[in-house]
Amino acid sequence: MKASHRSGGHELSRRHFLAAVSLPLLAPACLWRPYDAGSFPVPERSSVGLFPATDYATDFADLVYRGFRELGANVTGRRVFLKPNMVEYEPGTAINTHPHLIAGTAIACRRSGASEVVIGEGPGHRRDIEYLLSATGLADQVREQRIRFVDLNHDDVQMVRLKSWFTGMRELALPVELLESDFIISMPKLKTHHWAGMTCSMKNLFGTVPGAVYGWPKNVLHLHGIPNSIVDLVATIRPHFTIVDAVTAMEGDGPIMGRPRTLGFVAMGSDLVAVDATCARVIGLDPAKIDYLRAASRFLGVSDSGRIDHRGESPSRYATQFDIVDALKPLRLTTQLLVG
Amino acid sequence: VSERPVDISVLRSDIRDAIRLERNADGGWAYYSGKRSRIEPTCWALLALGQAETIAPDFDVLRRWPRKGGWLIETVGTPPNHAFNAIAALTLLHSPSDVALAEPIVRLLSASKGLRLPPDPIVRLDSSLQAWSWVDGAPSWVEPTAWCVLLLRHLTARRPNPEAAERIRVGEQMLADRACRDGGWNYGNSNVYGQDLPPYVPTTALALLALQGRRIDAVVRGLERLERDVFTERSVMALSLAVICLRIYGRRTAVPEEQLKTLLSARDVKAGLNDDLLGLAMALYALSDPPLTALTLGAAA
Repeated sequence: MKASHRSGGHELSRRHFLAAVSLPLLAPACLWRPYDAGSFPVPERSSVGLFPATDYATDFADLVYRGFRELGANVTGRRVFLKPNMVEYEPGTAINTHPHLIAGTAIACRRSGASEVVIGEGPGHRRDIEYLLSATGLADQVREQRIRFVDLNHDDVQMVRLKSWFTGMRELALPVELLESDFIISMPKLKTHHWAGMTCSMKNLFGTVPGAVYGWPKNVLHLHGIPNSIVDLVATIRPHFTIVDAVTAMEGDGPIMGRPRTLGFVAMGSDLVAVDATCARVIGLDPAKIDYLRAASRFLGVSDSGRIDHRGESPSRYATQFDIVDALKPLRLTTQLLVG
Repeated sequence: VSERPVDISVLRSDIRDAIRLERNADGGWAYYSGKRSRIEPTCWALLALGQAETIAPDFDVLRRWPRKGGWLIETVGTPPNHAFNAIAALTLLHSPSDVALAEPIVRLLSASKGLRLPPDPIVRLDSSLQAWSWVDGAPSWVEPTAWCVLLLRHLTARRPNPEAAERIRVGEQMLADRACRDGGWNYGNSNVYGQDLPPYVPTTALALLALQGRRIDAVVRGLERLERDVFTERSVMALSLAVICLRIYGRRTAVPEEQLKTLLSARDVKAGLNDDLLGLAMALYALSDPPLTALTLGAAA
């Protein structure tokens, strides 16, 4: 169900604008399904790897290479697209995926036989990609490692039919460079998110939506509900893998104004729902209470901890409770339900 | 980075050549080399070449640009972009034979209003002010509002229009409302959940261009902020827009101009400056000889 709104005299409350459009996520599963279940075979079990990384001096190329092998990721001969989170820059904060992890992943992909590695991002607030690349330090890594960077906000676009319809939209413009890749890796920073609850591998895909089509911020996603948009983007883009920067995460008023919080691991997996659900539990949030994770677990992946096999470290090693804004406190886990 | 002083005439000539070289077969320019022509870089390239050359650039690409319902459109299926249509209309106004082509766009933009939202304590803004959104059915934001105000002020300076004057008034009020606490503008949110958000150089410059000649606090503080931040936010886009804005406001630009030239020289201009054609066109416009007529409002505006 889509919220109706007009640009004339009609008024729409901001909360309605941002939240109530998530009605499809709340609809009972027995009613209309905004996706073709046959197109989304959900695995019985999924694997999630948590690999220790105490700081950003870690050898990430080695860590990611080992993660690929342990989790069965095969990038041989593939054109790999790395989608980090690079939304804003403020000195001393933990807003963006660290450039060392991104560069290490690119090296691991090449070592694993990838035919090409491309990094791409479309920041949702700033248009000035040259400034962001330089300020975040990613420009240095891109130059040193000779990796091509694609500005997703200003790339050529193609209208793509959505593969689920939680937003009520049938199609969306997406960058051609992303669509032409054959192995997409979502590389988020693990953060609280004051609207969505948490931003991780799934929410990270907001950065694929082109600003030069929809503007800054990317209101098309807000207008149709943030949780709905997250699910439709994941269902349509179907990233093959995710590598989460939880070395230093963000708590409090994320995704921009929160505080850095050291966790000391990198999470990986091919099931984005399973990885995000695991990260949610680690920071003390209940995935079943996060709208987009609850909806995604119906058809995009596994969120039930009993169906997730852990590689590397046990989530209980990192389990904690992140500080969150008051509005998100109902999302907290009622019991510490991490499975070792 | 080269330590040698940059020869401005050589740099301008190199940029002009690079822009000409990167023109697509359809007469337009892409954001990046090898991509499809888009409205915004095409308009900036036309404005920059028009400023930098004695021969007027060929505007035929805008005459033939695909339209739907009067709007210039890019990829089929994408919504009309208000900011870029405003830039296109502004560009057409500076081609004497094409002024009539701007009129349908101006009519559409004059009728277009950002979504009105009731007050909300989470965000500190007056969301009842209906200025301009990026696309239909969305709230108002700084960049599309700045371009639309600039366009309508150009037009009303030529031909007074009460309806346009009212839209300008609301647009300017919205820009003043969205200014960041310590001056300047970002995309359009100055405070969320009680936290002040920082301004950006490009959006600050664009908002100031729209507010030329207005003696209001937001302009004074925005200019101060721009003159300070231009030294920390280093990019071709930020420096170019800052130089354009500061020149139009009659401020000193020697240092940011030098930084822009150094930044451009550090790239290999002849190799296409990392293919950033929008930045190249903005830089050429910024480094051109005055007056920067397309973006300067006279006293009548």
